[in-house]
Amino acid sequence: MALTSFYFLCFFALVLFLYYVLPGKVQWIVLLTASIVYYLTSGNPILIVYPVAASLICYAGIRLICASQDRKKRRRVLLAVILCNVAVLFLLKYINFGINTVNGIAGLFGQEEVFSLSQWLIPLGISYYTLSLIGYVVDIYNEIAPAQKNFAKLALYGMYFPVMTSGPIIRYREEGEQFFKPHKFDYVQVTRGLQRMLWGFFQKLVISERMAKIVSTVYGDYTSYPGAYIWLATVCFAFQLYTDFNGCMDIVLGISETFGLKLPENFQTPFFSKNISEYWRRWHITLGVWMKEYIFYPLLRSQAFTRLGKKNKERFGKKRGKQFTTFAAMFVLWFTVGIWHGGDWKYVIGSGLLHWFYIVCGELLQPWFDKGMKACHINPKAKWVDVFRILRTFFLVNIGFVFFRADSVKDAVKMLVSAVSVFNPQVLFQASLFTLGLDWIEFTIAVVSLLMLLAVSLYRQKGSVREKIASWPIVCRYLFWYALVFYIILLGNYGPDYSAAEFIYQGF
Amino acid sequence: MSKEEVFERLNEVFRDVFDDESIVVNETTTSADIEDWDSLEHINLLAAVEQEFGMKFSMGQVVTMKNVGEMADIILSQTKEG
Repeated sequence: MALTSFYFLCFFALVLFLYYVLPGKVQWIVLLTASIVYYLTSGNPILIVYPVAASLICYAGIRLICASQDRKKRRRVLLAVILCNVAVLFLLKYINFGINTVNGIAGLFGQEEVFSLSQWLIPLGISYYTLSLIGYVVDIYNEIAPAQKNFAKLALYGMYFPVMTSGPIIRYREEGEQFFKPHKFDYVQVTRGLQRMLWGFFQKLVISERMAKIVSTVYGDYTSYPGAYIWLATVCFAFQLYTDFNGCMDIVLGISETFGLKLPENFQTPFFSKNISEYWRRWHITLGVWMKEYIFYPLLRSQAFTRLGKKNKERFGKKRGKQFTTFAAMFVLWFTVGIWHGGDWKYVIGSGLLHWFYIVCGELLQPWFDKGMKACHINPKAKWVDVFRILRTFFLVNIGFVFFRADSVKDAVKMLVSAVSVFNPQVLFQASLFTLGLDWIEFTIAVVSLLMLLAVSLYRQKGSVREKIASWPIVCRYLFWYALVFYIILLGNYGPDYSAAEFIYQGF
Repeated sequence: MSKEEVFERLNEVFRDVFDDESIVVNETTTSADIEDWDSLEHINLLAAVEQEFGMKFSMGQVVTMKNVGEMADIILSQTKEG
């Protein structure tokens, strides 16, 4: 049951009705039941055993940690919980990554396939609920989150149905308790939630699905579409991915808002970032925060890294030593971010190590950039310098997207070589542009929709768009929302004959 | 040790870590107020504070600390216990 399907909307309407008709103290039971029904109808029903088992393991871990004052025992329980969850995640998601790598190495030495690929089914949302649950148990161990003593309530936290598709990764200490409080029907809140969902549908159905057509044409046959075609398709992919993922988040956060639940934001106009570090503070924010709190910080404060830090300081001096230690921890962090996206080197490079490389280069070269700018009498605070930084960051991110979208690292490298070796910008201004999957009408719709997205994104920098619209005269307000509904109905890629593609991050 | 003394010593640590002699921290100073105080520098800063005061922040404190005022409170409570 995809979030953009008609059946889901009917299901959501029913859940929303029951949620507010039934007494406040059973609202969480409505959500838990809905989550179970959603899970059972979103693929092979038997796969529900995975999130239930993960919740059960974490529940047992929390009870044991809370019952003990012995630090060593608490630590052993924590490690066991983490190990169990990570082992399941690795076995299901990454076993083929290991097998492919071993087979690839064997192939280099002329050996045939050493292992055959696993055919195990991957449960929906495993990458999201695993991180949310592990984070919660770590917080219990660190004594910064309240312990949930009711297993059914913990299961709701682990399986809350909107976040099963693509997150966001929620933290119990921030968002957990609100699930179990009664929520009164609030007309403004429900309509605001529905408006946000609508904006999500617009991004996914009108923009993302259109961008996908150009991307599929070029990436599916990149030898026939060299040079500027590859740049165009990659920029289209950047917007396809953004509108797909951000659209999904708007739907998820909008649904939650109708229930009176506030979930963390996952995006903050990331393509306006001036450097890669900032980009990762604005793109998939909850993953970045999770990785920082549960991987990066513990790693940097571990004994091994403290020792490494001391050695590096002795060897390279205080500043450089500190920097090199951070780079080493960041390497682990970015490798983990990359592999979280999928068991394939294209993700490890495109969403992980390439970004690590950018940040390391940025840090090391910053003094040279500063000197260069000073020598050229460039004011680093000038507006045009900021615009240059935004474009530079977008360009670097797009290189990563080539790896992300291409079928393999080999294909990505071939595409990048083609992109820089064939100079044919004229194709972007010829009729051939309309043979990539979108005719001129479709292309115009895509451009107009992207401009609408840009306008909203620019306004979001200043404040809430929905609040602004709410302040308009009632006629304008209704006209706007009805126009958007009809825009999506008329121009969205959906319906019985054409089913919108799954959300890209659903596969992670 | 008084809170004022803690802030004075914290000023020195912050100036050293961020290489900026003009830094003056107070109760409400957060990472948003100091340009280079990002997630990368956060751990280096805490390590320097720990070394200065001979104490250790727990992982829970590391991730939930909201401003320098909270940092000073933790330092005071831990150095008193010591």
